[in-house]
Amino acid sequence: MRRATLFVAVVVLLWLAWDTGADPVRLARGVPWILDFLRRMLPPDPSVLPAALAGALKTVEIALLGTTVAAVFALPLGFLSARNVAPTPVFYPARAVLNFFRSVDTLVYALVFVAAVGLGPFPGVLAVIAYTTTSLAKLYSEAIEGIDPGPVDAVTATGATRLQILRYGVLPQVLPLFLSYVLYRLESNIRAATVLGFVGAGGIGFYLQTYLRMIDYPAASTVLLVTVAMVMVVDTISSRLRERLV
Amino acid sequence: MIEVAGLRVVLPPAVRAVDGVDLTVGAGEFVVILGRSGSGKTTFLRAINRLVEPTAGSVRVAGRAVTGAGPAELRAARRQIGMVFQQFNLVRRASVLDNVLAGRLGYVPTLPSLLGRFPARDHDLALACLAQVGLAHLAGRRADTLSGGEQQRVAIARALAQAPSVILADEPTASLDPALTADIMGILKAINAERGLTLVVSQHQLETALAYATRIVGFRAGRVAFDGPPSAVTLAVAEAIYGAPA
Repeated sequence: MRRATLFVAVVVLLWLAWDTGADPVRLARGVPWILDFLRRMLPPDPSVLPAALAGALKTVEIALLGTTVAAVFALPLGFLSARNVAPTPVFYPARAVLNFFRSVDTLVYALVFVAAVGLGPFPGVLAVIAYTTTSLAKLYSEAIEGIDPGPVDAVTATGATRLQILRYGVLPQVLPLFLSYVLYRLESNIRAATVLGFVGAGGIGFYLQTYLRMIDYPAASTVLLVTVAMVMVVDTISSRLRERLV
Repeated sequence: MIEVAGLRVVLPPAVRAVDGVDLTVGAGEFVVILGRSGSGKTTFLRAINRLVEPTAGSVRVAGRAVTGAGPAELRAARRQIGMVFQQFNLVRRASVLDNVLAGRLGYVPTLPSLLGRFPARDHDLALACLAQVGLAHLAGRRADTLSGGEQQRVAIARALAQAPSVILADEPTASLDPALTADIMGILKAINAERGLTLVVSQHQLETALAYATRIVGFRAGRVAFDGPPSAVTLAVAEAIYGAPA
């Protein structure tokens, strides 16, 4: 039985390699080209640094605004799709909506919103909101499902209304988790927002794509370095904040 | 004060946790429900304020129907029934004072309470309740920094803040050591004596029950196996309740 499973797995992997044209020899032949590419990127061109920094700032703005708005929008959705809080007739449709919208990535949303509202950072913000709202709602709902039912019983027993029970029995238990998820999403959204510029949705990705198209590799490498620095700075700040929440 | 008639609670899948209980508790009584774990004590108490939905029978508390009450009537009924739990059920991250203020939720207007605002007189009342259990000096501390015995006293203060006519206490000392057991039972006894509050307390320890109760109700397999004053509890009665020589 085990051998048969292993055999099937190997056959599937081989077929995948064949069908995607995965070929170690081709990769080995490409190595000189990669090296050539890297050599042409050096040294980075410092003259584009101001543009790169402006682009990075815009990317951070897109991620920050999009994530904050999504963090709020996700609140009602999160409660409505938590099994232990939402009434059953609400729970199933809410879960279905979440899973549907979560299956599309931020970049795809960006394409849609660029077509709808035109180029610039605004469609980027909308794309971040669209994806992050549903992915945070899913995380929220799982946090809500994991709460200790004891305080909820206690608050219910005081004669509190449904909303009061959520506010005093549920929210204090999940709020630190929610904030931690929001910061985590902010980190991933910074990374996601770097490529939003590729489809015209603003930020540092626009500069990267432009310089690559112009075959100006030294300028592109400056933009790449700024991107790496930006991601590292945001990750560091965010993970420090998250540590404090526990 | 409490009138229970023909109460039956069937828990899923088909456990008859409470199997036909008739019980009338007069004002100012200190009733201890005695029985082994699994005898239906907890389910019985939770059915009195409908944290568990009764399958059949009726419950009236302080002249109000609990069974058959609509949502608003049920909240009004719950308001006058304080409840204390084995695991304290405080909101661990909230302050001691906020936990006690939660006892006022049945009285205060919903909207300000959702924003965390309580009228000044409710603050005064909450502090007075904390003083009654000897913890006024810990009002600003986070609940989870308190010891188990202190947490249970905060839970009692929360129940007192409801200005209830009845307090139900479900195994309030089962998570505490013997010295703290005497402490907590003493506080409950003082509330009963000074305020004339009706108390229904479940216990699995015979000696503790006999030391504080004005009336003992023995539960066995979801039914009342004994009902009488502590002085009437003989070896034969203990056997009837516990099912083996005590």
